[in-house]
Amino acid sequence: MDFGLTEEQLMFKEQVLKFARREIVPRVQEHDLQGKFDRESWKRLGEFGILGLHFPEELGGSGADVMTSVLAAEALGEAGVDGGLTLSYGAHTYLCADTIFSHGTDEQRRKYIPRLAAGEWIGCMGLTEPGAGSDVASLRTRAQRDGSHWILNGTKMFITNGAIADVAVIYAKTDPSAGHSGISAFVVEKGTPGFSVSRSLNKMGVRTSPTSELVFEDCIIPAENLIGAEGSGFLMAMQTVEWDRSALLAPFVGAVSFLIQRCSRYAQEREQFGRPIAYFQAVRHKLADMKIFLEAARSLVYRIAWCKDQGRPLNHLEAAVAKLFVGDWSLGPTNDAMVLHGGYGYCHEYDVERVFRDGRLAPIGGGTSDVQKVLISRLM
Amino acid sequence: MNFDWTAEDKEIKTRLIGVFDQSCLLELEALEDADLRELKNITSRFLKRLARIGYLGIGAGPVAGSDTLGLMAGQEELARISGSLFLAVEVTARIFAGLLRCFGGSGHVGNILEAVERGDLIGAVAVTEPAEQEHDGGLGAVAWLDGSDYVVNGKKDFVTNGPIADCLAILVHVEEQIAICVVEPGLPGLVIGPRMKTLGYNGVAVSAIELNEVRVPRSQVLGPISDRSPLEFLRLTEDLVLTMASVGLIQRTIAEARKYSGLHQRSGKPIFAHQEIRFKLAEMLTLSQTSQLLAFRAGWMCSVSDSEAATLVRCAKVFAAEASEKVASMAMQIMAGQGYLSGNMIERGYRDAKYAAVAGTTTERARMAIADDLLKRYV
Repeated sequence: MDFGLTEEQLMFKEQVLKFARREIVPRVQEHDLQGKFDRESWKRLGEFGILGLHFPEELGGSGADVMTSVLAAEALGEAGVDGGLTLSYGAHTYLCADTIFSHGTDEQRRKYIPRLAAGEWIGCMGLTEPGAGSDVASLRTRAQRDGSHWILNGTKMFITNGAIADVAVIYAKTDPSAGHSGISAFVVEKGTPGFSVSRSLNKMGVRTSPTSELVFEDCIIPAENLIGAEGSGFLMAMQTVEWDRSALLAPFVGAVSFLIQRCSRYAQEREQFGRPIAYFQAVRHKLADMKIFLEAARSLVYRIAWCKDQGRPLNHLEAAVAKLFVGDWSLGPTNDAMVLHGGYGYCHEYDVERVFRDGRLAPIGGGTSDVQKVLISRLM
Repeated sequence: MNFDWTAEDKEIKTRLIGVFDQSCLLELEALEDADLRELKNITSRFLKRLARIGYLGIGAGPVAGSDTLGLMAGQEELARISGSLFLAVEVTARIFAGLLRCFGGSGHVGNILEAVERGDLIGAVAVTEPAEQEHDGGLGAVAWLDGSDYVVNGKKDFVTNGPIADCLAILVHVEEQIAICVVEPGLPGLVIGPRMKTLGYNGVAVSAIELNEVRVPRSQVLGPISDRSPLEFLRLTEDLVLTMASVGLIQRTIAEARKYSGLHQRSGKPIFAHQEIRFKLAEMLTLSQTSQLLAFRAGWMCSVSDSEAATLVRCAKVFAAEASEKVASMAMQIMAGQGYLSGNMIERGYRDAKYAAVAGTTTERARMAIADDLLKRYV
């Protein structure tokens, strides 16, 4: 075993940290309070190369390995970038663009990846429906072939980037009688007749990431917008789990590193009863618990990334363990950070309050903690 | 980065598992209720078997750093098979022999170390002291030179292997420096107290010891050493051992609870079919994998002398110790009345689990040290 990162990986993480602190973080609080997507930060993420890190250079990416991508995502959280922007980035790069890159035709890759990698276009992924979340087989969105077209009908729910996306990867049933094998994936572009955003959802956290309900009413898309083979959509959706359990979890891990730094400094500045609160054991206990969580979570998330870099098939047990641990156990540190800041921690002006709200998504998004327990117990 | 064991590490695991056949496992069961004589016999027999596969010489002494992960590969297996034997063996091979290798190593001590590697000797280290003897974080047990001998006075508490040890390493203060007295039971003035009754790990013998004007030849005293490095070595080594004890305990507890949940039926189906049981097991497995990975990462940091290694060891120890208590509690809940009966593995694990939190660096002290490190880093 060897848990060391390469010099290049460590240097790149440091560069992302500096970039994010300088270019992104100053606008985070304002946008979070307004619940507004930060287009300027998005543009800068694209210019820095974050949005297409792992894609090949000829498609506008940097050819980075998975571990480097995970470190970049962790660095954004560690710098203090809000969970909304990192969620938008994750949905865009890994759930949308990577699906096109991994399963699409050369033509689809050339058309979409360079623009998505540059941040010129924004991507989203539509799997969840009002009546189908983790139970993917119960999807009701229907895609029917009509000559050289597909006709989409249905509704997608909780779609990250839905309202701002230029490109959507949509999962629909092409053969309702075939269960998982009857699901296919399609690229749907903004402005396609019959494709609309019915409403945007107001959320507790990750507020800068627009979450919407998407509606498809006799939405006609060209036959060539099918991604991969007909009926292979379920497998594609499952493959995004590898990213979901590594690059999308990493910002939550990084956020706890951010909290540790914030709280350590605050505890040494803030005085009560004539001494810095860092003197009190209850405060130090909280700091220690944050650090223990951070190191434990890092180990689990890095393991998923390393396995993906080795080209191994996803170990669903390890992936579910990582998701369950980061989801459930991260609530303690984000709560502790808020309590450590007292009344200030409860106010919007302090970023620990935002991290607390953003972190609440961890045990819910991408498969709830209960669903992870179902998976783990099934596999053990 | 590499999350796989090396071929050498896998070999250590395979050889270790090969030591324990079915008859060995029955013998280990007997360890838990054994009197001192039987306990010493069983422990000695297993030390010899482990010596034959080279387990007792791994990772002790100056080379400990680079061998840490290989050692942990073996420790994981032994701790999973028997918690009590694991503690008795690790105290001898890693804590006692490791201390001697780091701060001595030749002459009389060299012979002792060879005996340890052959499995011919049970070792113990006496460092903890009763509260009334503690002063300013220093050692209350003292020694002074008198001719060619040191004369030692003091009391020591909670000496693991104390009642069955063939040799003891006793830490004392010589003026303001630390010295290690290497003594054998039977020395005039050395009183090994009665075996202490403990909540868990009943297959390990623990006692207090008292030293009343004990004369120790100068050749059997290591040091005096001007810094606190012997204490730091012991703390780190013991914390890693206790972390692996917890990792092993968690694994055997989960295996037993999983097996039971598949066999025991309620409402016409195995209790594993009920979500309350399945979800408990899922949480237990999550705690297991997380403890395991954090422990190995801490071990790796030790092996490359990372500046955060000591903090990571503390993180791993706190997490694994507390996880083992949670897992043991959930396992007992799964097994209900069966788990509550004395003598079964779950009941034993429930009692054993507390030990790691209170031994070595207590979880409270560990948390304070982790936080102190953070407060220094982020000013």
